[in-house]
Amino acid sequence: MASSSPAPYERRGIPGASFVEDVQSYLAHSGLDVNSSLAFLQERLQQYKIVEMKLLAQQRDLQAKIPDIGKCLDIAATLQVKKGTGEALVADFEVSEGIYSRTRIEDTNSVCLWLGANVMLEYSLEEAEALLRKNLDNAKASLEVLAADLQFLRDQMTITQVTIARVYNWDVHQRRSKQVALET
Amino acid sequence: MQQGSGSETEVTWEDQQNINKFGRLNNRFHELEEEIKAAKEANESLEDAGNELILSDEDVVRFQIGEVFAHMPREDVESRLEKMKEDADKELERLQEERESVVSQMAALKKILYGKFKDSINLEED
Repeated sequence: MASSSPAPYERRGIPGASFVEDVQSYLAHSGLDVNSSLAFLQERLQQYKIVEMKLLAQQRDLQAKIPDIGKCLDIAATLQVKKGTGEALVADFEVSEGIYSRTRIEDTNSVCLWLGANVMLEYSLEEAEALLRKNLDNAKASLEVLAADLQFLRDQMTITQVTIARVYNWDVHQRRSKQVALET
Repeated sequence: MQQGSGSETEVTWEDQQNINKFGRLNNRFHELEEEIKAAKEANESLEDAGNELILSDEDVVRFQIGEVFAHMPREDVESRLEKMKEDADKELERLQEERESVVSQMAALKKILYGKFKDSINLEED
């Protein structure tokens, strides 16, 4: 991601961290002294960290959702294969923790999908598979966007951390030079 | 980046981009370690399942699909398991290749960054 101009920009609400070419002119331009500048940068870093936590939580949720949709697709595919053979699908399922029961699922054309918010809707097998695939694609696409957001965010955090170190070092260097000048 | 002794090595935008890239690669490296661990466990489970299948001589096997255990004829289960093992192996290989690529990119960046900044930068795992 090499770009020639370090112009800051923002991404979906996350402010970009501007890259400092030269510490001296940065401080002169902002009109802040070293301590205020460091305080401002530290606060920015904290804000970035808060956003990072939020994005990581969203990422975990999506990562849990995807295998769930996969399982639903598995079942729908299995029922589709059984359809037309006249055989019933016999399965053992969990009634409650530790208690299992047996069920016969006869040749069927439809399944019910849980849509959330206490709503369950009946779909034909084909419609169900299509809906589940669409949900899976959407979840995967959201995950990609989220990953890109996190990358951008972490880059801004790194830039901010480096700027903090450079401002601090510049200050130390200034003090040292003044000290040396006083002593000669 | 550790707060140094006040040296005046200038940090250019290119340096900053290299540092950013190193950070991103490092994150990806840790994610990959987790993913590889999970993939190896999945492979082991499939191995165990295959072995159990060989040992048992039932004709109807309870195979987990989603949250239920469907009764399936033995041959179907065998072929499903084979396919799952193939997919799992491919996935593990893919992850390990990505990991190697990430590791070598990180090594290259370390050379560049330590070359310019020497002691002023710390790129090691703490």
